Amino acid sequence: MTNFEISGRQRILLMVGIVIGLICLAATYVTAPEAHHARFWSNYLHNSVFFTGIAVMAAFFLSASITAWAGWYVLFKRVWEAFGMFIIFGLLLMLVLALGNYLHLHHLYHWADETLLDPSNPEKFDPILAGKAPFLNKTWYLGGTIVFLGLTYFVMSRIRSLSLREDEGNDENFSSHRKMRVWAAAYLPIAGFGSAAMIWQWIMSIDSHWYSTMFAWYTGASWFVSMLALTILTVMYLKSRGYLTTVNDEHIHDLGKLLFAFSIFWTYLWFSQYMLIWYANVGEETIYFRERFDNYAVLFYGNIAINFVAPFLILMRNDTKRKWGSVGFVAALVFFGHWLDFFLMIKPGVAHAFHAGDHGGHAHEFMSGFTLPGFLEIGTMIGFLCFFLYVAYATMARARMEPTHDPYLQESLHHHV
Amino acid sequence: MANHKDIVYGIYDDETDLLRAVKVAHDKHIDIMDVYTPFPVHGLDPLLGLSESRLHIAGFVYGMIGTLTAFLGMTWIFTKDWPIIFGGKPHWSFPAFVPIMFELTVLFASIGMVVTFYVINGLGPGVVNPTIDLRLTDDKFCIAFDTHETSKGDAEAFLRSTGASEVHSKTI
Repeated sequence: MTNFEISGRQRILLMVGIVIGLICLAATYVTAPEAHHARFWSNYLHNSVFFTGIAVMAAFFLSASITAWAGWYVLFKRVWEAFGMFIIFGLLLMLVLALGNYLHLHHLYHWADETLLDPSNPEKFDPILAGKAPFLNKTWYLGGTIVFLGLTYFVMSRIRSLSLREDEGNDENFSSHRKMRVWAAAYLPIAGFGSAAMIWQWIMSIDSHWYSTMFAWYTGASWFVSMLALTILTVMYLKSRGYLTTVNDEHIHDLGKLLFAFSIFWTYLWFSQYMLIWYANVGEETIYFRERFDNYAVLFYGNIAINFVAPFLILMRNDTKRKWGSVGFVAALVFFGHWLDFFLMIKPGVAHAFHAGDHGGHAHEFMSGFTLPGFLEIGTMIGFLCFFLYVAYATMARARMEPTHDPYLQESLHHHV
Repeated sequence: MANHKDIVYGIYDDETDLLRAVKVAHDKHIDIMDVYTPFPVHGLDPLLGLSESRLHIAGFVYGMIGTLTAFLGMTWIFTKDWPIIFGGKPHWSFPAFVPIMFELTVLFASIGMVVTFYVINGLGPGVVNPTIDLRLTDDKFCIAFDTHETSKGDAEAFLRSTGASEVHSKTI
């Protein structure tokens, strides 16, 4: 079998998933109108950022692999190309939020309230946000989203079309691959600086007064692990359907190693951020963790258990990185775990704004959708996941599943770890 | 050394020749005493029927001992032996212990594995290494047979038929 085909059953399943997601989004919008539909918009932001980030990381890792002259991944590079092509939809999803800042569709971002920046009104004037205003403003948010995701999509589509042109086979000097290498290398600094800047805008700025220099790395690592987990699950699924027959345990082993290593890398960044804030004990910084200790204890510690302890202990042995059962289990677990990690980054800040509305200042009570993901959150996630997979599979279906003329094809075929 | 071995060995110029020869020996059930290569050759271990090293299990145990040493040691020092307040933190401040727990895990695992490796292989200062051929540390590959297990004639015939560039005998 050469081209991937979406079977009728699979199409129906994905469509059902997307419909579930839409119903959950609509239900959230209708049932929770408080604070400008905060629950709906935070769910929308949460999933849009999560899946857009997975696409960005696929583009980034593909570019890094091309730049590094790596060869082992070539047999399943269509998977990363397909993930990367989702970015155009990621751009559309994030544009809704960027324009929503102007149209007051949502009030997720405290800094978007321009009355706080007026020094002539000492009642409301917020000197900290005024100081951050040159970066945290609507124009930057909109422009940054368009430029970063637009560039990512542009480079990704160049790499994709060069990769397809390569397969036509009349490319004796590897000129397609040489061009691809230039695009890939050029994208690396864009991915590095761009993702950091947009993580600050999209996620960190929800806690508008707070900042952490580790945050972009930590979030980027979370995206990266999720991307690896989804790659492993997709490759396994494609193999079970009879595609990617040349991908073997050696490739799974390397993907498993990356999953193991980057789970530890994520933990390292998570802990570095936590420990520095804990040690310095500056009130403006510790408030971030105080909030999560008090109201999100299950998720806060569960995050470490799922995303560090489980992959660390399960994937430590050589053979568990090769067995489908253990790698697949860990991949599914940390995929969900990092989705929870993003929940933990976004929801407390949103819930805070939510509570600023009622003037009692009482402690948070349990709120489904804010302190723990409810069914509507899970349903929304299923919808976004099915949408992401649908786009990825539709992209895969348009080209030969296994490349035929990649210069590193033989290296990947004979990959041995 | 009390028990000397009489060996027959062949020198190969290329690792693909070596792999092919080992495969032939494997199929014909000829007992190879050992194979010497200047670098790890992919695919050689399963052909020789070598089982996976258990050194990493020892490494895990050493690492856990290191983690516990750091954790219990610091707990005792900072709560019982010599409690000091740092930066207004409680005596038992777990986040501050984590970097030391990490460091001792790495230290114990690495030193423990090196020592275990040396002890198991009988390596140490002053050990005489019976070198078969100095070129085996550079660019040549070797298959050696013990003449007590494989007759000298069989071994030599095998080595020549599988493309060894040189065949020698030696007592080590």
